[in-house]
Amino acid sequence: MTDLIIILAIVLSLLGGFSTVFVRSSFDKLICLGILTSGAVLFLVNKGYLDVAICVSLLMPIGTIFILLLLGKKREETK
Amino acid sequence: MIVEGICIVIAIYCALRAVFERNTLKKLPFINAMNFAVTGTLVLLMPHPITIGVALAYFVGSTLESNAIASTFASRENQ
Repeated sequence: MTDLIIILAIVLSLLGGFSTVFVRSSFDKLICLGILTSGAVLFLVNKGYLDVAICVSLLMPIGTIFILLLLGKKREETK
Repeated sequence: MIVEGICIVIAIYCALRAVFERNTLKKLPFINAMNFAVTGTLVLLMPHPITIGVALAYFVGSTLESNAIASTFASRENQ
C-alpha cells in the first residue's frame, strides 16, 4: 500500500533534482525546486514525521518568495 | 486502490510535462495539477488522522508558491 507513495516520492525527487541542476532559467529552477520539495514532503510523510512535514510545507513558499524578491530587485538594478 | 493509482499516474505525468515544457508560463498549470495529485495521494494512502493537517498545509503552501512565481513572472514580462 505504501509502496506506491515511495515510488512517487523517488520519481518526483529525482526528476526535480536533476532538472534543477540542468535547467538554465532562474524561474524554471524555482519551479523544478517545487517538484523536489513535493518529493521530500512525501518522503517525510512516509516515514511518519507528520509535524516536520507540516513545518516544511509551510516554510517552503517563504524561501521561494524571498528568492523572487531578490530576482525582482536584480532586474530593477540592471535597469 | 484504483483511485490512488490514478492520482499517482497524474502526478508523474504532470511532473514530466512540467519539466520538459519549454515555455515557463505553460509549466505553471502542470505544477498546480501535480500539487492537486500529490495532495490526493497523501490523503488517500496514509492511514494516520493527522495526515489531513499535512495535506492542508502542503496544499496551501504549494498553491502560494506557484502563484507567487506566476505573478512575479507576469509582472516582469509586463515591464
